[in-house]
Order: sequence, then structure tokens, then C-alpha cells
Amino acid sequence: MASKTSQPVVTPRSSPPDRPTWIAPTFFALALIIVVVVLTQLLGASGKDRASFSAANATLGAIVPVLIAAAVGALVPRGRHVGAWSVRFPLAVIAALFAIFMMRMWPSSAAVVTEADLAAPTTESGTILSWLIGLPLAGAIGILFLPRQQPRLLKATTFLVMIGTLLATIPLMRVDMGRTYHFNQDVVWIERFGIHYHVALDGISLWLVILTAFIVPIAAYASFGSVSTRIKDWCFALLLLEAAMIGAFVALDLFLFYVFWELMLIPMYVMIGVWGGTNRIKASLKFFLYTMTGSMLMLAAILYLAYMYGRVTGGPTSFDYFELQRIVLPRNIQIYLFCGFAASFLTKVPMFPVHTWLPDAHTEAPTAGSVILAAVMLKMGTYGYLRFCMGLFPEASSELAATLAGVAVLGGILYGGFCAWRQDDVKRLVAYSSVAHLGYVMLGLFAATQSSIEGAVLQMVNHGISTGALFLLVGVIYDRRHTRMLDEFGGLAKVMPVYAALFVIATMASVGLPGTNGFTGEFLIITGTFVSNKLGHVNGIQAVGAALGVIIAALYMLTAVQKMFFGPITRDENRNLRDINTREMLAVAPLIIAIFVIGLAPNILLSQMRDAVARTISDMSARTEMNPAPGYYRGPIKLVPRRPDAPQLPKTAANAQNPSTAAAPSGADSAP
Amino acid sequence: MALAFILSPLLVLAVGGLLLMLAEAFAQPGRRGGLALGTTMIFAAGFAFSIGVWLYGVEDVTERSMLAPWIVIDRFTIFFDALLCLGGALAALLAGGYLPEHQIERGEFYMLLLFATIGAMMLAAAGDVLIVFLGLETMSIGAYALTAFRRTSPRSAEGALKYFLLGAFAAALLLYGFALLYGATGHTDLAGIGEAVKKGGEKSPMMIIALVLVLAGLLFKVSAVPFHMWTPDAYEGAPTPATTYMGSVVKAGAFAMMLRVLLTCFGDKASMSWSAGWPPALAWIAVITMTVANLVAGQQESVKRMLAYSSIAHAGYLLVGVVACMHSQSQGVSSVLFYLLTYTVSTAGAFGALIYCGSRGKEAVTFEDLAGIGRRHPPAALAFSLFLISLAGLPPTAGFFGKWFIFRAAIDSGFYALTVVAFLNSVIAVYYYLRVMVFMYMREPAAGAPVATPMRSGYVTAALLLSAILVVLLGIVPSQSLDMAIKAASVFGAS
Repeated sequence: MASKTSQPVVTPRSSPPDRPTWIAPTFFALALIIVVVVLTQLLGASGKDRASFSAANATLGAIVPVLIAAAVGALVPRGRHVGAWSVRFPLAVIAALFAIFMMRMWPSSAAVVTEADLAAPTTESGTILSWLIGLPLAGAIGILFLPRQQPRLLKATTFLVMIGTLLATIPLMRVDMGRTYHFNQDVVWIERFGIHYHVALDGISLWLVILTAFIVPIAAYASFGSVSTRIKDWCFALLLLEAAMIGAFVALDLFLFYVFWELMLIPMYVMIGVWGGTNRIKASLKFFLYTMTGSMLMLAAILYLAYMYGRVTGGPTSFDYFELQRIVLPRNIQIYLFCGFAASFLTKVPMFPVHTWLPDAHTEAPTAGSVILAAVMLKMGTYGYLRFCMGLFPEASSELAATLAGVAVLGGILYGGFCAWRQDDVKRLVAYSSVAHLGYVMLGLFAATQSSIEGAVLQMVNHGISTGALFLLVGVIYDRRHTRMLDEFGGLAKVMPVYAALFVIATMASVGLPGTNGFTGEFLIITGTFVSNKLGHVNGIQAVGAALGVIIAALYMLTAVQKMFFGPITRDENRNLRDINTREMLAVAPLIIAIFVIGLAPNILLSQMRDAVARTISDMSARTEMNPAPGYYRGPIKLVPRRPDAPQLPKTAANAQNPSTAAAPSGADSAP
Repeated sequence: MALAFILSPLLVLAVGGLLLMLAEAFAQPGRRGGLALGTTMIFAAGFAFSIGVWLYGVEDVTERSMLAPWIVIDRFTIFFDALLCLGGALAALLAGGYLPEHQIERGEFYMLLLFATIGAMMLAAAGDVLIVFLGLETMSIGAYALTAFRRTSPRSAEGALKYFLLGAFAAALLLYGFALLYGATGHTDLAGIGEAVKKGGEKSPMMIIALVLVLAGLLFKVSAVPFHMWTPDAYEGAPTPATTYMGSVVKAGAFAMMLRVLLTCFGDKASMSWSAGWPPALAWIAVITMTVANLVAGQQESVKRMLAYSSIAHAGYLLVGVVACMHSQSQGVSSVLFYLLTYTVSTAGAFGALIYCGSRGKEAVTFEDLAGIGRRHPPAALAFSLFLISLAGLPPTAGFFGKWFIFRAAIDSGFYALTVVAFLNSVIAVYYYLRVMVFMYMREPAAGAPVATPMRSGYVTAALLLSAILVVLLGIVPSQSLDMAIKAASVFGAS
């Protein structure tokens, strides 16, 4: 496939004008479906009994939607440059895969199992998560040994490794997530400090891992058309980045999380700095230093937390998420530590005062870098807030939620939206729209109700998909015109109809039109915010402000679309632009399909994450209700019992003696 | 025999150095190529013997008492022996590539490396102020000569002269402090001074002056601000392998001396308290050192000078570890030991990469010279980046664990503000380390500008490979070496 698609179709194929191109494929697809139906019926009839007949019908029920999806996928693309079977066939395959995904993941069958799952929380172990991290990592190291002079080999290897990683997520989807963590793997790494290699997955991280494994190959595939220098370094950075991002989503040891968290920085820094635009060096440094400052404060907080744990138990320190969750801290310490973590996560999100690195980084980054940055890396901040800030410091995060939610609405949703409105550069506009969208996600997390957190997690995935698509599409026009200024364009819909259609779909998803994915997430967040009791007395105002943000989103996105695509063609350079080519089409198509899949069947995602969200909330409320009125524990730092559904620690010498029994201080570590 | 065994790392280096001297004297001119290899082998043997002694264990060797109180051989000493041999071996390997390339190869360089290392080992083993002074001078004089080794270069001479004059002055201060200590306590052995200081209770003015003078001398040797003035010039002027040597071995030796003197002589409760002891002074100096060095390093145009300031900044981080000894001596010392190990491999790697990036007449001096190396010579740039990332303290490299351990010790001791300052300083540090990567990967040289051309040398490649492997290994599986550092530091926990 690579050999065919790497050369863009330069000469438009002249098809006879009198015969529309879609007739032949339609008939072919219809014929195929009829043949399959007849065949299954015949095969079922040949068995001459009811059982085989209904089995055949079941098979039919499984196959026909896939075929229909494939047929639709094959038929939709039309245009001067997009019509060949080289694009129709992959599109059909992608559509069919999505149909399979929808049928297999349809939640109706899962609901029954969840009851049993709740009754007996099971935590199976497995190494699949390590494979997910290890595959790209091994690929990255393998890339180093491939010859630099063969870009095609490098690209193919990278892409195959990424597809392999995506395939490796299939077992994750086959498990009903429920309340517990799955695929638990816990290996002692540095015994003396209680540092473990502990990875596990729950319904929240599941979708983020899948999002990562889904977006990165797309970004890589798209980038192979536009990145032409230093392919080897590029492939290395991409694979390393993927490994680090997946690792950060599944790490449950704070030390391990920090390692992956920092490991993400270098590849992204290099990606922006080497393959970026004119101001790339400044942007990449800004990105690095902002993030690094935050993460240094987080590291200090992690160290302090682990130290406190060691003090309380009198035994070895631990960095395990479930162990650290047991510590109950008094107010002032908890606020400080919360601020240390939040400084890191909210910079990454990014929230209002520290968001300024994002527009620069996005504007200067190459297309694939922007896609990965927006789609996955920003989620690292929201995910980190949900998992670590809310999980470790429930009281502090409840207390500060109201203030932070105000910042999210005013500084994120409204200010970000207005900033986006004023931008001339499309990419900058999309970047500011990210600030606004992540304001919604953060608002949902601050509100901390079942529906708002569900909406926030869903919106994390949604933003990844729709903004990823938007950045890819902006990259398409940038490759053609080498400018992204809004006033350079106008009337593009006449020249590039397919491109315009895709762009409008992605825009609608970003705005949150019902039927696209953005709607469900924002709706859940706003309703959840409205009933939240965490936001002081202003939850209604926050919800209204957030709803206002939807209108602003429509304002800036639609203005941009109108300026770019409609009206007369104002510039001569725009008259002969090529429409979207095969590679770009194939890169953006999965995202466009996913927009509708999630928009029409959000329950596929929600059903898997529902119980994990419920668990997060019940954990928080269990802690806040344990204490008297202000919601804080007063008195010395203490430990609460380990949660029953937390994964068991591995049997090692370090924790053979139960840490909570105040084992005798061992080793030189505990001198006075 | 057991005595010879526990002294073997030192003896191996001494005997090896003498043999090499003979070999060099009788070798035909122009056939000195094997000297670097020989030196490396001697260092490797010293390293192997240190490990052997470590595994054998020194606690049960009764002959140790024969050396006491002048020379103390314990786990702390042995750890430093191994560390110093490692640093020396890396410097010797780098010299094996650098000196012939720049046509200044003379046998003396290797002898100086060996004998200065013996001085550093004596510092780690010193139990008496006289041995401290002997070791210090053996090490320093070697380092002065190494600095001046590029005889044709005025910068080299300038750096060496500054280093020598200031170093002699600092040594005099130290010696003066020791004299006052002797006057106040009547002891020259460190343990005896420590006992007397402990018994003395309230300190006399003489003791305080002595402490100040000793501290000044020690801080000069570790190049803490405001005693750092010599460092950039000496580091920049010296041939790069000598700079590597100063950054790794001399610095490690100085910290060995600092820990030994401070914790043995002034290790009692009163002297280690925040109100009446040296920790607040060191804490402030640590803050000033880190901040000033990091800020100035960001302004440098020469990579070597930047690395010199970075080495000052790292001395600041190490001082944080020394301050952390206040509450838990063993933990503070172990963090310093482990940091020195990670710092040695990272900084040797960084200087090695700098050497590797330049050949004769096309040296890599400024940031501009490195422009585009990432595209023209990817392996060199990749190695350089790895070491810089380690120096910046990003996971998963050795430097990260070093920082982690030091900051953990500081937090455990309750120095929260100091730790946060150190954390923020490491963010500043990231800026100038990344700047090198910016030039290597993201800039192209201006038309007609001189560009650095990497050299070809098996020695340098070997040194880079060795440090790279160690940097990665210490970053991924540090358990073994951490345990060693903790075990070595337990010497101080007992007292």
C-alpha cells in the first residue's frame, strides 16, 4: 500500500462525464450483499434443521452490517482525485472494522455481566499492558539499527509496529471493565524505595489507551507524506512518544508515572523543534520549560507523599497508587501537595494562566505533532487530574473545585473561545479552541458528578478525535498553500469539495452538533455541572457559562469555515488547488467515521467507563464523609485500610511483612 | 597480606603508574600509542580490586587497626576507590583519542592522571589532617599540571595559573584551619578532633574560625559559589580530557574530603544543628551556587564553559545532599555518593561527546560549531543528547536517579524550601542543556561558518559507549549501585 500511496495522484484521471462514478461500485456492493445473503440462506437450508438455519441467520446478522458499512465506506468518497479503488478499498475496510467494533462493543450484552462483576470484584493479571508499552519501545530501539538511507523501510516498520500496538488493544476491549482494575501487573523495580513497575487498566484509562493507539498511527501515516527530512529520527520520536504516552495512562506507581510523564517530553520537544515552523525553537523551549516546571513541583509532591507514607508506616516507602491513597493528610499539607500535582497537570491541560505555551506549540509543530499533542498529550493533564489529584487528595480537590471551575469557565471556555474568535491563523484558532474544549473537560472533573465525569472522559476522547481531524485537515491546506491565514482563503469549497465536506464535519463535531461526538460529551458535562454540589452556589452559573461557550464555539468555528470555504474565490492561487489526496483521505477517514460512531452510539464508551467513574466518586465521597464538617481530617497523618478491590501487591521481601504493622525500621535508611 | 589487599586499589595505581613511567621512558619515540590503553587497564585493575575488596568486606579485616588513625579503610573509601578508578579510566580513554588528534600526546599526561587519582584516593581514605593535606596536594598538583597541558595555548596557561594561585591560597586556608583545630583540640587525627569537639560543648572563637577556614578550603575544592571563579577558566583552558578528569575525579575526591572532614570532625549534635552549626551556611551556599551557576551557564556561548558552570551547579545539588546529612547522616552521604557516581558517568560522557564532535582544527567550542551535527553525524549527536538529558536529570537516565535520591534525602530531612529551590533550579538547567540539542538538531550552520567535524578514535568511542551503557543502566536498574552507596554511607550512620 505504501508504494502506491506515496506518490500522490498528480494527473487527474479523466472519467467520462456522462457516467457518474458511483454506479459501478454500488452495483458491485449490492451484488456482493445479495450473494452473501443467498449463500448463507442456502448453506443454512442445506442443514435441514432449525439450529443450523438460525445459526446461519445469526452469521448473516453479523456479516450484513459489516458489508453495508463497507459498501457505504467505499461509495462515499467522490471527487476529482479521490475515486480510485486504491482509496475505496481501504475506506471500505476501515468502515467495516468500525462496524465490527460497534457490534462487538454494543453494551446491551455487557450489562448483564457487570452485575456479577460488581458482586465479586476480580482483578486478572496479564502482561498485555507491558506489550502495549514494550512494542513501540522495542520498535523505537529497533529503528535505530535500521539504515538511514531507506526511508521506505523505516516508515513501513514504524507503521507496522503502530498497527501491531493497535491490534494489541483488542484484548482490552473484550473485557467488561466494571469497577475494578484489569490486566494488573506489578513487578518490584527498586526494592529499597518501594518502587514498583505497576500497570493496570480501568474503564477510564481504557479509552485513553485506545485513543492513543488509534491516533498515533493516523498521525504517523499522515506525516509520512509531509515530513521528508530525517525520517529515521522522526520514526524514533514517534514510537518513543507512543510508548511513553501509553505507559503514562496505565502506570499506577507514581514513580513509574513520573518516568513516563517526563519521557514524553523529549520526543515531543524534538518533534516541534526539528520539523516545526519558523519559530519552532522558541515554541519548543517554551513547551518544554512550562511542562518541566510543573512536573518538577509534582516530583517534589510525590517525594513528600512517599516520605509521609514511610513515616506513617514506619517501614519502607511506597509509590503505589493504592497505598498512597490510604494516607489521610491534614488540610495544609494536603493543599500544598494538591497544588504540586495540579501545577503539573493543569499546565499540561492547559488551564488559563499557564495556557500560553499551547498556541505557540501547536502553531509551530508539524501536523502530526499537533495531532498527537492535541489528541493525546493534553489528555495526560486531565487524566492525571482525575486519577491522581482527585484520587489522592479528595478533600483538597473538593475544596478547591469551585475556584478552579470558575477559572475553567472564565479563563478556559469563555476566554479561550474569544481568543479563538480573534485568530487569523487557522491552526492557532484550533489551538485556542482546544483551550476552550479542555475547559469543558476540566469543568466536568471539578463538578465531580457521575454524568459530568463521564462526560469529561468522553469529551477527552472526542476532543482527541475531532481536533485531531481538524489539525490533519489544516495540515492538508498548509501543505498546498504554505499559509494558514484565514484571509488567504475563501471559496475553497468550489475547488476542493471533498476537503470542504470533511472539514465541515470535523467543525461540526468540534462545535458539538447533535449526532456528532462533541454533543454527547458537552451535554453530559453541562447537565452534570448543573446538579453538582462541589461548586459552591454557583453551579448553575457555571453551567450557563459553559452553555454560552457552546455558542461561542459555533461563532468562531463557523466564522472560520465561512471565511475559508464559502463566498467567492478571492485569490488566484486558490483556483487550482488539488483536492484531498489518497493519503490524506485515508488518514482522516477513520477520524471522521469515529466522529459519527461515538456521536450515534456514545454508550459504547460510556458503558465501559461508568462503573470506574462511579468508583472514583464513591472513593472521594467516602473520604470526605469520613471527616467532620469542613471535610478535613484534623490530627496526625494516618492510614486508612487498603481498599478491598485494590489489586494485591506482589509477594516480595519488601512487603512480606505488612507495612502497616510498623515493622522494625530496616537498613541504614532509618537512622535518626 | 590482608593489609596489602585492602590497600590494593591504591597500590595497583601506584605500581602501575611507576611501571608505565618506565615503559614510557624506554619506548621508542612515536610508539606511545599503547599508553592510554595501559593507563585504562591500570584503572580497570584498580576498579576490579576495589570491587574485590568490597565483595570480600573490610569490616572483619583486623589489620585495619595498623593503619588507624591515619588511614581509614572502610566501605566509604572502597566505594570512592571504585568511583575514582571509573572516572580515571574514562578520562584516560578520552585522552587516548584527544591527545594524538591534537598532537599534544606526551606520556606525562597519563602518569599525572594516575598519580592525581592516588591523591584523590588518599583523600577518601584520610583519617588525619596531614593525610588530607597530602592527598589534596597530590591530587591538586596533578590537576594543575593537567590543566596547563596544552602548552601552546595561552588559555590553558591562564586557566592553570588561576587554578594554581587560587588553589594554593585555598590550600593555605585549609591548612591554617587545620592548624587552629590542632591548637584547639590537640589532635591531628580526624576522629580525635571529632571527640574533642563533641566534648568541648560551647565553641571557642578559635574553633569557629577554624571551622570557617576549613569550610572555605573545602568549598573552594568543590568549586561552590563564591569560590568558583577559577572553575570556568580552568575547565575551558584545560585539554578536554583533563576537564573531564577535573569534573569527575577531582570533584569526587573533593566531596570525599568534605564528607570525611565535616562529618568526622564536626559530626556532633551541636555542630550539625541548624542553630549553631555548619548546615545553614552550607544550605545558603548550596542555594547561591545552584542559582548563580545555572543562571550564568545559560549565558555562555562556549559549550565547554557552559559545562563548567553546569559542574558548579551540580556541586550545588551535591551540597544539598551534604546538608541533608543534618538529620540522617547515612542517608545524606549515600545520596551524595550515588549522585557522584551518576554525575561522573554523565559528565565524562558529555565531555567525551564534545571531544568526539571535534577534530584537529575543527573543534567544537561554541554552540554554533555544533549546529547541524544532528543531521551530519547522528550517532555523535544522539550520544551527546543522552548525556545532556542525564545531566538535566530527566528519566530514565542515571542523572534522574541521582537527583531523585538527593532530593528525597533533603525532603526526608525536612528541607522543603531547599528542595523546591533545587527543583526549580533544575528547570533552569534544562534550558541550557536543551540549547545544545537545539543547535545540534534544529539549527544549520551559517554559510561559510566553521563546522565541527567529528574525529575517529576507538578510545573515545569506547569511552562514550561505556558511559552511555552506564548512564542507561543506572537509570533503569539502579538497585545494585544504590545499595552499594547506602552500604558505603552506613559508615557514618553509626557514629
